[in-house]
Amino acid sequence: MDWGGSLIHSGGGGAARTFFLALFPPDLSPEFLRISLAATWPTLAYAVAGMTVAVLIGLPLGILASGTVISVPRLRWPVALASRFSLGGMRAIHELVWAVLFVAAFGLSPLVAVLALGIPYGGILGRIYSELLHDVPPEPLRALRTAGASPVRQLLYGRIPLALPDMVGYTFYRFECAIRSAAIMSFVGIQGLGYQLQLSLNDLLFRQVWTLLLFMLVLVVLVDQWSSLVRRKLAS
Amino acid sequence: MADSRHHAAVAAPAATHVVVKDVAKGYPGVRALAPIAFSVQPGERLALAGPSGSGKTTLLYLLAGLLQPDAGQLCIDGRDLAEMRPGRELARLVGMVHQQYDLVSSLPVLHNVLAGRLGQWSLAGSALSLIWPRERHLAEEALARLGIADKASQRTSRLSGGEQQRVAIARLMLQSPRIILADEPVSSLDPALAEEMMRLLVDLVEGSGKTLIASLHSPYLIKKYCTRVIGLRQGEMQFDLPAADLTEAVLDRLYDLDRRRPENGAIRQE
Amino acid sequence: MEARERPTRSASASPKPGGVVRLSMLGLLALAAASWGYLVFGVDRDFPNLLAADTWQGAGRLLGQMLGRDSTSPPAYTQWDRWLETGKLAYQTLTMSVLAIGLAGIGVLVTFLPAARNVSHGGLGGASSRPWRVLHHVIRLVYNLTRAVPELVWAMIIVFFLSPGLLPGAVALALHNFGIVGKLSAEVVENLDPAPSRALRAAGASNTQMLLYGILPQALPHFLTYLLYRWEVVIRTTVVVGFVAAGGMGREFRLSLSYFHYTDVALLLMWYMILVTGVDLLSALLRRMALPPPVR
Repeated sequence: MDWGGSLIHSGGGGAARTFFLALFPPDLSPEFLRISLAATWPTLAYAVAGMTVAVLIGLPLGILASGTVISVPRLRWPVALASRFSLGGMRAIHELVWAVLFVAAFGLSPLVAVLALGIPYGGILGRIYSELLHDVPPEPLRALRTAGASPVRQLLYGRIPLALPDMVGYTFYRFECAIRSAAIMSFVGIQGLGYQLQLSLNDLLFRQVWTLLLFMLVLVVLVDQWSSLVRRKLAS
Repeated sequence: MADSRHHAAVAAPAATHVVVKDVAKGYPGVRALAPIAFSVQPGERLALAGPSGSGKTTLLYLLAGLLQPDAGQLCIDGRDLAEMRPGRELARLVGMVHQQYDLVSSLPVLHNVLAGRLGQWSLAGSALSLIWPRERHLAEEALARLGIADKASQRTSRLSGGEQQRVAIARLMLQSPRIILADEPVSSLDPALAEEMMRLLVDLVEGSGKTLIASLHSPYLIKKYCTRVIGLRQGEMQFDLPAADLTEAVLDRLYDLDRRRPENGAIRQE
Repeated sequence: MEARERPTRSASASPKPGGVVRLSMLGLLALAAASWGYLVFGVDRDFPNLLAADTWQGAGRLLGQMLGRDSTSPPAYTQWDRWLETGKLAYQTLTMSVLAIGLAGIGVLVTFLPAARNVSHGGLGGASSRPWRVLHHVIRLVYNLTRAVPELVWAMIIVFFLSPGLLPGAVALALHNFGIVGKLSAEVVENLDPAPSRALRAAGASNTQMLLYGILPQALPHFLTYLLYRWEVVIRTTVVVGFVAAGGMGREFRLSLSYFHYTDVALLLMWYMILVTGVDLLSALLRRMALPPPVR
């Protein structure tokens, strides 16, 4: 492979040193902290809104893809395969590629970013939901069946309650990922931590860059802690 | 075999409840149930005895509609089981207690009990009931009768084995089928809980003309709580006796493996 | 049945189930309401009216342009040499993803043992010393930082130091995935059954021997599995990183969009789907080899 001459910019080494030295200390001035805090909210809001879309996509398609609710045998597998195929298509394409395409189609708006986030995440959630719903222990379902429950009622009273702790846990884990994805929606012009970071980078204000990186770190670690707390409680 | 024919002849005149006509069932490579025939009257409490793999569970699953027979016919009140709609229709006639009670551990007790009504409720009603419980009083009455009224809103997984057993019975009380099947209902219980389980099951059927069919091993429990016993071995009926006539000798012959299985020695060497 | 006589208590007397979970669910609902409220009412830009005809005309126009309906020249995806040309870029993209996973893997292999609390804090019978514990916390912090920052942001930073091409993209991808795989692998070690290691220690094994024979064999299959799972994500992300790091298909994708060469975009998307599907299949195959079914 041709690396095209030197790997490092002329002056790249110096730039790197300047960048890392800027961590001691980062820009902690009150007005920049205020800017960072204000930029955290849109990132969180896009992540949450994107996840609501993802759950709305993933839950129904995941249920159909699990092949457990349709009692007509001739319909069950065609529907399951069609659902799996569409879920696969949604998650094959990265959220930012969706965003770029949507902006070209609809123009830039919050909804475009939310959909671009929600579609691939819906594809991932749907696949995991379908596996979790499919792999539920069969004994309680058999007991419900002898009590007269149809497949859909078995889903409501058996499969979903039994799979719910794992489904919630996984959704929480994806929420953490969605925060990072929301931050990079700045690339199509969406407000948030990524947007501020681009501005600071353009002006070579590395100390501000570090502040914003630390904000991302704190946000992700907080959600990570919250999600592992919920997962622990659900498992007990 | 002579016993079974004798019994069927006596039973014939009354309104026959369950009729098993030459029913056979096999799984790939295995014969689970040879063609087998008997009938059961309303109010009878029938025990199925036999070593594991003798076809007891297969027979119960066939009666519950969980399996379809390869040959023969199962009739309840003169109607073929195969022609009945599963769910709604069958659930009114046949209900089942499972080996580990098989409750939905993550649901509150209340919903596990109300699940006994799922065969009768509409789909929308079933879904809404998870948020606003329907016919709550029925579940609460059943739980109160069983002495665990205070557990209604607890997660089922938090209950002890004995309490879960009562929840399973409460679900059956709400389902209120005419025939109650029990698959090894006491297999994993200590003697005190086993007796209690049998008492609960008998309470459920006694005086209401309901029928109990349970797989049981203990001659003591069979004699104390059942009226009749059928012995199964390798899918064939070995005897069909009034429970009172069951002797240790008959049961020993049913469970005795050493003399009848030449390959047994080979298994031991493994 | 003496229990039947017990008076019925009302359901409200029972304890509240799962306070944390219930609070979290309420919190999430509130967060969702606030987020949608902010996006609908708090942002200047309008939501496109999804019921309006011209919204969908825009989408339809784009799709038509991608299929080459409006252009005079034949669409790119009907020309064999364009397929080859784009295929070279796809190959570069694939190289970038393998390079990224390789770099991340090496980084994790060097760091994940001290990152596990039971190794660095002596929980497996090994020595515990202050430097090891400090190292543990430093590595965990680096994992968290590299994990928290998305690949694209790393790429934006790294193009300041490295020449544009495959390497900055690969390094950006590697940094982020180093944090993710590192954290997961360290957690695997922390959840390992300590009995084999303690037995080795009792048999007189040194620290190094214990790690080599007691821990690595148990942890490596999981590490490889995580790495392969991440490869599936990385191949989807290489294109995005290429937007700024100028390697592989990403740059071409962006240029084609800004020059309105929509049939090129369609061809790039086709190659993208081929790459993603191929890597998914290959990864599934390799994962099965990495974690063979338990021997009976």
